[in-house]
Amino acid sequence: MTLLQIDGLSVRFRLRDAVVQAVTDLTLSVRPGELLAVVGESGCGKSVLAHALFGLLPRNAEVTGRALMGEVDVLRCGEKRLAREIRGRRLGLVPQSPATALTPVRTGRSLLAETLRAHRRDPGLADTVAADAGLDAHALDRYPFELSGGMAQRLVTALALASDPPLLIADEPTTGLDRPLVDHTLDLLRRRCDNGGAVLLITHDLAAAERVADTVAVMYASRIVEHRPAPDVFAAPAHPYTAALLDALPDRAFTPIPGHPPMLTALPPGCAFAARCPRADTACASRPGGPVACHHPLVSEAVA
Amino acid sequence: MADLALARPRRRTLRLRSGHVGTTLAALVLAGAVLAGLAAPLLWPLDQSAIALDNIAQPPSLAHPGGTDDLGRDGLHRSLYGLRVSLLVGLVAAVVATVIGGLVGGIAGLLGGWPDRLLMRVVDTISALPHLLLGIFIVAMLRPSLGAVILSIALTHWLSTARIVRSELLSLRTRPFIDAAIAGGASRARILRRHLLPHILPKIALATTLMIPHAVWHETSLSFLGLGLPPHLASLGNMINDGQRSLLTGAWWASIVPGAVIVMVTLAIAALAARWRDRLDPRVRAELNL
Repeated sequence: MTLLQIDGLSVRFRLRDAVVQAVTDLTLSVRPGELLAVVGESGCGKSVLAHALFGLLPRNAEVTGRALMGEVDVLRCGEKRLAREIRGRRLGLVPQSPATALTPVRTGRSLLAETLRAHRRDPGLADTVAADAGLDAHALDRYPFELSGGMAQRLVTALALASDPPLLIADEPTTGLDRPLVDHTLDLLRRRCDNGGAVLLITHDLAAAERVADTVAVMYASRIVEHRPAPDVFAAPAHPYTAALLDALPDRAFTPIPGHPPMLTALPPGCAFAARCPRADTACASRPGGPVACHHPLVSEAVA
Repeated sequence: MADLALARPRRRTLRLRSGHVGTTLAALVLAGAVLAGLAAPLLWPLDQSAIALDNIAQPPSLAHPGGTDDLGRDGLHRSLYGLRVSLLVGLVAAVVATVIGGLVGGIAGLLGGWPDRLLMRVVDTISALPHLLLGIFIVAMLRPSLGAVILSIALTHWLSTARIVRSELLSLRTRPFIDAAIAGGASRARILRRHLLPHILPKIALATTLMIPHAVWHETSLSFLGLGLPPHLASLGNMINDGQRSLLTGAWWASIVPGAVIVMVTLAIAALAARWRDRLDPRVRAELNL
């Protein structure tokens, strides 16, 4: 049984003189109790994936594929059904850049109490929900502009938790937090999964993913290049890009990946990483498939 | 955590500061005008249309501080009654205009697309016509009455509010917190009520306030042209008009007294509204060091 089953999701943005290929042929599933981390560099399409599921893409976006929650395809079910059944109810979002995601003219308490009331919960729980997210009760009485970046981050987390959705999509939920609060937030997400919930964690913080994720999907240039259980990915990465990402960490080799990711307006027909890959050869001009999208994986048995 | 707590900004929406002489003066003038207008029937219960032919065209004196007109009526007394009418018409017309403008601008800004384009072209078309001419046209079609005057003002003054509300909504719609509210599952009605209105209400209230002096002037202009209230009822506009004839005979006070009242009161309202606008705008507020 899966909570969310995404099949062949592609998102393209039509500009006047170019087409941005933000997400390409993405297939993922999330089971109850699973914490799936989607990791990758900025601009690889992680947030577009989240926005597509919530129907928040701008008008020039072309979405293909399916994303089933139960029997509902959230990409096709229409605005009304999304608003009444999906958003906030079965699918929660911790939005990116929390400072701008909060209505500036209302206090945190007012927003949180409204959310609780709208989901038929006791608005008096506001303090408890905020405390769960690591936010002091007195910070709730401030307006968003009076909050620090970290406080705003914890407030949007609390707002997303207030409706207690079965699947929570957390888009960079640890931005602006210092280490103890990062750990607090991650443990909170882990506990949700241990209690039967599920979390899709979008992050570029590999250490965060390593700490809590069950499975990891590595995105590069709009595609998932490696999708495997978290311990395997971190112990023995199979895709050269994953290996290079891990080697860039300060507590590993601390070596940057040479070159730059390709423009999403001009993706190569073959493997998008080939130009930066030490293992690339002529085979890489055609596109590899499978859970590890590579013709020359580092761990061969992973390509089953 | 507690010692890091930020100082909450003090709320001081209506508190006046010493040193702003103009603002204080404007507030006093307006308060005096409103009180005098409200209390006039109690303090000075004299029939405003009572004629006293034994006492015509008297210059200002202790008995008649505003002088008397060519029918022996007290100029200050009638000015106060005229002021009542002006303030009432100004306020009601400004509120009605705001409601119309708010609805049109709201529909255009929320729906976008062809309703927006259609409504805004209507607004442009009406803007292209001179307000006073359009206002005269409206009262000329109706019987002269308070209601006709209010309608004439409201139907010519809602355009700016519609534009303000529309442009505010268009810019608010693109802000991330609206997306966040949608992602939280909020309905359109809830987003409008809880996320959009709190932003635009202060601006609408300010627009209404700034409109009051315009509305008062419009009423005065209509009355001056003889299209406002019936002549036996005091209105600042028809008093100024009546006084024109007396001016030629040397009775300067007949036009000057109602004229001074209207200038002082509208200036006071405009000054206070401008001051409020400055306070609402954080950039101006920082500049003025408020």
